[in-house]
Amino acid sequence: MYLVIVGGGKVGAPLASSLINEGHEVFVLDRDPDKVSALQRELGMIATVGDATSVRALRDAGAARAGAIIAVTDADEDNLAACQLAKYNFDVPRTIAVAHSPENAQLFDLVGIDLVVSATDLVLSNLATALPAHPLIRLMPLADRSQELVAVKLPTAGAMIGRKLSEITLPYGTTVVLVVSADGRAKIPDGNVVIQGEDEIVALSPTNSTAELWEVLTELR
Amino acid sequence: MNIIIVGAGNLGSSLARKLSDQGHAITVIEKNSAAVSLLPRGRVDSGAMTVIYGDGSSAPAMVAAGISSADVFIAATEKDSLNGLAAQRAKVIYRVDLVMTAVKDEGARALYDTLGIKTINKAALASDQLVELMTEKR
Repeated sequence: MYLVIVGGGKVGAPLASSLINEGHEVFVLDRDPDKVSALQRELGMIATVGDATSVRALRDAGAARAGAIIAVTDADEDNLAACQLAKYNFDVPRTIAVAHSPENAQLFDLVGIDLVVSATDLVLSNLATALPAHPLIRLMPLADRSQELVAVKLPTAGAMIGRKLSEITLPYGTTVVLVVSADGRAKIPDGNVVIQGEDEIVALSPTNSTAELWEVLTELR
Repeated sequence: MNIIIVGAGNLGSSLARKLSDQGHAITVIEKNSAAVSLLPRGRVDSGAMTVIYGDGSSAPAMVAAGISSADVFIAATEKDSLNGLAAQRAKVIYRVDLVMTAVKDEGARALYDTLGIKTINKAALASDQLVELMTEKR
């Protein structure tokens, strides 16, 4: 497919190179002659200096035969204008734009950009996967802060799932106070209760072994 | 009427002055604090004209300028794409009645027409006027 990329910088340059490797025909427009010559040295004559927010530059870049336009400059307003002009004047079937601010991402969606890549959302979703999905929640300190009441939500699948409470070796001094199932029912935490996925364990734990408790409970198989 | 103008350059400040002369309440959004020297200083100082410093295509600056009670929004910076973004936000998100934008690229005018945004092309206006003057002279 013939693809026009707007912006040959931090995002555009590696994008162009990977799309070429996937077998696409790629053309990059950038205002900055330095970026364009760097691209030409690396990838051949696939880039030119031009302002993609002008109809003429889009025409010269062959927008009329492009299967998609992908606008990835640092300036949200340029990404929007390039996509809209390409769609309106040259019927480019698919418009893809990066929006750096969430408010722009919402607006791009509303005005008909086919695929909006929200930079903020990407960062947030990556952070979410990097952070523990099953945090240990500190409910209250007890006994001069030497003990704490804590809650841990268990993963769907883990080493503890399906085992009886009495079979699980908890850190010294830990007492399970309550087990709450995923649908909110409380299970009496005697030794026979079977731990299930997404159960929430409420426990009394020595303050210095809460991290160990979390590791035991959320350990994967 | 409450009128918001983005950009205090030649076009923006001249518009602000004329519309203020007609008795409208004018708020100008400008990024560059040095650029507001083109605005009528007395009116800015007396509070008859409000200046908001910020990016006129961003939601926070528009809200600070009172976009929810604006009757007219005019994007008049030197950058077409910035005008386009600002005008579309005013129209689509804040539903301002009358939205206008300055454009340099003729190819962009038809696009904004379809979105219900009025366009002004300084160069086209100037050349139309010049042609008109020449015809009158004959």
